[in-house]
Amino acid sequence: MATVTKNETQPTRVTEEELAKRARRKERFQTWFWRLLSYVVVLAIWEYCSGRVLEEALLPGPIRVVETFFDIWDKGKIPSAFQATLTRIGVGFGLSFFIGAFVGILMQSKWWAGFFKDAVLISLAAPGLIWVLITAIIFGNRAIGPTIAIILTTFALVTVNVSEGIKAIPKDLLGMSRAFHIGVVKRNRHIVIPHLAPYLFTGLRFGFSIAWKVTVLTEVFSSSKGIGFEMRISSQLFQMDEFLTWILLFFFFALFLEKVVLEAIEKRYFRWRQAVTAS
Amino acid sequence: MLGHYGWRVLKSPIFARVLFPFTMLALWLVSLDTIEKIWPFAIDVLPTPGEVGRFMWNELITETLARRNLYETFWISLRRLLTGFVIAMVVGTIIGLIMGLFRAANAFFHDWTMVLLAMPALAWALFNSLIFGFGDKGPIITVILAGIPFVIVNVREGVRNTPRELFDMARSYQVPRLKTTRHVLFPSLMPFMFAAARYCFSIGWKGLVIAEVFGGQDGAGWTIKFWYDAHRAHGVVGYAAFFVIFAILFERAVFEPISKRTFRWRPNLAGAEIVEEVFDEENTLEDFASVPSSEMIDDNE
Repeated sequence: MATVTKNETQPTRVTEEELAKRARRKERFQTWFWRLLSYVVVLAIWEYCSGRVLEEALLPGPIRVVETFFDIWDKGKIPSAFQATLTRIGVGFGLSFFIGAFVGILMQSKWWAGFFKDAVLISLAAPGLIWVLITAIIFGNRAIGPTIAIILTTFALVTVNVSEGIKAIPKDLLGMSRAFHIGVVKRNRHIVIPHLAPYLFTGLRFGFSIAWKVTVLTEVFSSSKGIGFEMRISSQLFQMDEFLTWILLFFFFALFLEKVVLEAIEKRYFRWRQAVTAS
Repeated sequence: MLGHYGWRVLKSPIFARVLFPFTMLALWLVSLDTIEKIWPFAIDVLPTPGEVGRFMWNELITETLARRNLYETFWISLRRLLTGFVIAMVVGTIIGLIMGLFRAANAFFHDWTMVLLAMPALAWALFNSLIFGFGDKGPIITVILAGIPFVIVNVREGVRNTPRELFDMARSYQVPRLKTTRHVLFPSLMPFMFAAARYCFSIGWKGLVIAEVFGGQDGAGWTIKFWYDAHRAHGVVGYAAFFVIFAILFERAVFEPISKRTFRWRPNLAGAEIVEEVFDEENTLEDFASVPSSEMIDDNE
């Protein structure tokens, strides 16, 4: 008997928690529904437009792009192009990151802040294109050109984040280090840099999002391999399917690095200090 | 030797700021010299400051070898930029409002806004130049596509930051809808709209020059490509300098005064994500921190 009544009363006695959970589940379901619907709608419009609104040669549909991807994959061009581009990003942005961080740390002092102010201003305001063209005309096809272009476009983003972090350094720690006559190197090593870590990471993420775009742009002008080069060739030959495949391929790869890998690392290592992470 | 006053001048940040261009110039001259001597094959050409200065002066007094002079060129580009900018602002605001007000719309547009936000302008530039050929259309559409996600993100954020209580109060006092929009939603949206306009403009400008390089037959981007193709290094450097000057000038001459006027009534704008005084003396760096604001869209997930 007891069990029966229990079974009867159980469904009606819904706790508040249960209700909230149910509402949340419903919300999540709706969100995913609309999200997936948007994918379907956009891809359908794209597929419909290709060959109807615009010629198929001009706008290949998503199916065509996937086919082309397998074509290119079979030709074995993808690994070498990716390798070339990623190396360039690694070298260029790696240097840029250290230069940017160094400048940012220098800018602790008012004098250096004044000195580098215009450099940062110009680097942020200038279109990446101008550095690409200038370095391309000066250095030709040599590897140093793109590297300099990447540095000039991205270092300021790191600098800006670092100096943002410096503003938030606990003043009392700095005061204490001064009271105990701690040297500049030691102070930077033990107080400033650990405090800056999350800001540096945010700088890394922002910088990367710009760096890969500039890298592809430099490859369009002054390179004979890499993603940008392949894009240029296919657009000059009017092969839109290959062009779209290359750009989308690298786009999703970069997005994956930026949004999934870097963000996961950031969440994992800086969870303990979420509150101070630069936004 | 210098005396107290001299030291004070040397140590002031303003002196450092003035020193910077001279340091760069010195670095330029030194590298010109050393590279020629030590490593002559490392570079193709290195323009001298004199050449660049003369080129820029000639451009300014409209003596140029290019098809159009500096002012016409920048006017063409500016016209394109403004057209794209206005369209992006209008469409972006509508989408942003809808996204801020309806959860379903937010879920629908969210990922695609992200895609637009992360897509390099180069991709649009090449794509549009192939589809629309040479002319106004390609560059304008590039500006729209490059700028619109920033407008959407900012407006959506603005709608979400509108104080709920004010809406509730408006409803309980039975204020008509239009009036609520005019007096509640609009004022609190303004700073976000302003930030949107700034992003849209600067990103649009960067996208526009790339689009003009590939799909223009005039305009600033085309002209710098003209000097590039003519292999005039001093022309490229000089024109690049005009680009920077244009961007900074516009910011200072247009956005700053408008922002001062529009937000006079607000004593303190403490919104963390709002970029108000981008080139303001004190806050330059702080505000720039949020420039690549692909962040904002993630925050509310």
